[in-house]
Amino acid sequence: MKKRLYLELENCIGCRSCLAACTQCGGHEERNRNYVYDVNPLVNRQTMPLMCLHCVNPACARSCPAQAIQIHETGAVLSALVEKCIGCQNCTIACPYGIPKFDTEQNLMYKCDLCIDRTKDRIPPMCASVCPSNTLQWLTDEEIENKRNQFNLDNGKWVTSLPYLESETNVKVNLPGILQGITKLY
Amino acid sequence: MQRDKFFKEVENVLHPNETLVKTHCAYCGMQCGMNLRVNRATNKVIGVEPRYDWPVTVGKMCPKGVTAYQQTNHDDRILTPLIRDDASLKGTKEGFREASWDEAYDLIAKKFSALQKKYGKDALSVFSGVSMTNEKCYLTGKFARVALGTRYIDYNGRFCMSSAAGGFLRSFGVDRGSTLPWTDIHETDCLFLAGSNTAECHPTSMFRVWNVQERGGYIIVADPRETPVARRADVHLDLRPGTDLALANGILNELIQNGYADEEFINYHTNGFEETKELVKEFTPEYTSELTGVAPEKIIRAAEIYGKAPNAVVMFARGIEQQHKGVDNVSGYTNMALVTGKIGRPKSGVATFTGQGNGQGGREHGQKADLLPGYRKITNPEHVKEVCNVWNITPEEMPKPGVSAYEMFELMEQKTIRGLYLLCSNPAVSAPNLNFVRSAMKNLDFMLCSDFYLSESAEFADVILPSVTWSEDEGTVTNLEGRIIKINKAQEPIGESKPDWQMQVELAERLGRGRYFSHMKTAKDVADEFRLASKGGNADYYGATWDKIDKQDGVFWPCKDENDKGTPHMFLDKKFYHADGKAKICALPYRPPAEEPDDKYPLRLTTGRVVYHYLSGNQTRRIQFLRDMCPEPYVEVHPDTAKKYNMDHEDKVRLYTRRGEAIYKVKITEAIREDTVFVPYHFGHEQSINLLTIAALDPISRMPEFKVCAAQMEKVEIKKVQ
Repeated sequence: MKKRLYLELENCIGCRSCLAACTQCGGHEERNRNYVYDVNPLVNRQTMPLMCLHCVNPACARSCPAQAIQIHETGAVLSALVEKCIGCQNCTIACPYGIPKFDTEQNLMYKCDLCIDRTKDRIPPMCASVCPSNTLQWLTDEEIENKRNQFNLDNGKWVTSLPYLESETNVKVNLPGILQGITKLY
Repeated sequence: MQRDKFFKEVENVLHPNETLVKTHCAYCGMQCGMNLRVNRATNKVIGVEPRYDWPVTVGKMCPKGVTAYQQTNHDDRILTPLIRDDASLKGTKEGFREASWDEAYDLIAKKFSALQKKYGKDALSVFSGVSMTNEKCYLTGKFARVALGTRYIDYNGRFCMSSAAGGFLRSFGVDRGSTLPWTDIHETDCLFLAGSNTAECHPTSMFRVWNVQERGGYIIVADPRETPVARRADVHLDLRPGTDLALANGILNELIQNGYADEEFINYHTNGFEETKELVKEFTPEYTSELTGVAPEKIIRAAEIYGKAPNAVVMFARGIEQQHKGVDNVSGYTNMALVTGKIGRPKSGVATFTGQGNGQGGREHGQKADLLPGYRKITNPEHVKEVCNVWNITPEEMPKPGVSAYEMFELMEQKTIRGLYLLCSNPAVSAPNLNFVRSAMKNLDFMLCSDFYLSESAEFADVILPSVTWSEDEGTVTNLEGRIIKINKAQEPIGESKPDWQMQVELAERLGRGRYFSHMKTAKDVADEFRLASKGGNADYYGATWDKIDKQDGVFWPCKDENDKGTPHMFLDKKFYHADGKAKICALPYRPPAEEPDDKYPLRLTTGRVVYHYLSGNQTRRIQFLRDMCPEPYVEVHPDTAKKYNMDHEDKVRLYTRRGEAIYKVKITEAIREDTVFVPYHFGHEQSINLLTIAALDPISRMPEFKVCAAQMEKVEIKKVQ
């Protein structure tokens, strides 16, 4: 069954295990390809991970004049192909989330490939494997739907999840506020 | 096998020409399961792969765990014995030369024997740690008492776990850090976390912690700082550092006054209730608020949530333990579980987050000044006899009880202790009142240190022996649940390094005590003797064979024999370990911190951890990723306090107390109280915050008060205009 990366942002504790884990994925050459931001560092400790959302119609690939950014059959938007990438950095400019990084030495873009060497065999990506707070999860569509229903507030005030961000994405994001809809046990 | 909702069948990735070795993380008491990737051609650990089949952490790791494998083949490893001939260079990195094992052993034996001949057996001391296997911990205790014959042995658990041990022992008659397995925690209705920055210190607990709330349960956090877990808690009790006992008494009073006490449980299974009820009467929400700085309504609400919870777990950590009343704090919070009867059943209980990898097992097997293997007391003649039978010595040969860790440094300063064998610990960073501790170490006639990196403490040594990392040896450790688990060897030791247990066996031979040690040729030989030595003690490991540990995903102690599966939940039969089978509800008068703020030192200084570093940082500061994430310490200051002191974010300030001073960058954050500043303690030399901390010791556990002292700060450098 197809699984997707699912981000439950409110769980993030800022440990950056996802960054450390990313360096351990095959082919990543010990460089991490994801980010964790301090939301408001002088106030509190809220952090949020920013991973590639693996858009269905990705701006990075659309903007690539050399067609160096391939989309895998699983939906993963891959890192630039070494033999095709011309180093123009259009992709880094086009991505609304600032995901692709540029390696000036190799004249090559590199980005999250959703640990394609793992996810093609249904093994979770390294970031979601290790994430100790369950901010990053590897779920089936059914599990994601259950989450959405669980946090359906329907009160016109809180929006806990959006169907689309930039456009349709393979990674699903639950925005902070999820706990507002919880019915307390007692 | 325990499998819970977080467990999912996932295949591991196996790369060509690699072997996966199942083992556990090198660092904290969670001991997360992990697979080490070993290159078969080079026999080197080259990476890590999550261990999805480990029931406690199901593949989850923190940034330290993900990068832990990098310590094994790190360039900084000490590869041969090192000797320093010029004692005037002590306290620096300089002057060491490479030596052979023979030369190093000869020198150690000569120096140790000469000191004992001149000043008596007790001229030597052993200072050890609990980031090592049960086997090493056990053998270190035996080595001190049988090979060296000294009374002076203690360990860095005094700076970490001893207050939890003291509190549990007083309340329950036994010290097992958690009365329930971690796989229960997410199923409870209320988690009361006191003095635990869980998200940063034990991150792989967090998926269970958050799940409590996602199920509709409650999280209550008592902490002076708004830590990541406090930020999302249902109630954050933001108390002044060092006032935990007042808060515990206040909540207990609320529980009793509002009818949440379980009278049947109290009557049949506890002592001390009436006395305690009387004592806590004065801790009304208003009075408690006055002492702690927490709003009365928060105290009332926290008690209501905990009281109403069908099941609840009280959890705590160094925040309440590293105080000069740490034992009282532990018993104070434990009282909550005993008075409401929320203990001795699944999903309810009390637990402490163990800081060091083997913080639990390491305190059970005879490294403490007053303890012998299996929690036997060195002051109890029966206990001594039992251990002597295993060790093949007479009770007359057994040394007397020694003194606690910090007090050993006092004896070094006074020249009562002349020699030190330090292993697996870095007191030159982690001890309190460091100026004094460093001077005491410099004052030694001879110091031996065993380590795999040149730590700040090793800089004081005359001889350094190269030990191995966790992945080059095997043995057992006991994680924070009380689960005995197996550490497996992934690669052969690099250079000439050796496991500590092997060094001790060889050194004992040189010291003429070989007959007590020479039968131990492998780690398993040590394990077999150690299981026997713990047999019949409170911490009975006899039935926890390595085979059983593998088959059962670990074994919870007590495990008395081959048919015993172990004890995941403590006290299910409502029998506690005191002679009458009852637990003790403790009446604990409140004491303020040892040092209160005044005009000259108006701030409260508290210390703690960051997620990227482990203990003194000797291991994690060398790992590139972790160093990049947190390269230096800082002082957390509230924006209003910063304004008062005319300070800005990233200004440099001199922080000082009556004992020392250090310079830090300011980190402005609303997550700290206005009257408090915080500095992480993982850094050495002039950046160590323990230069400032106070060595006020708990009367029972001898734990120093790391968590609070009076401080002052001033700006030292005006920020350059960009």
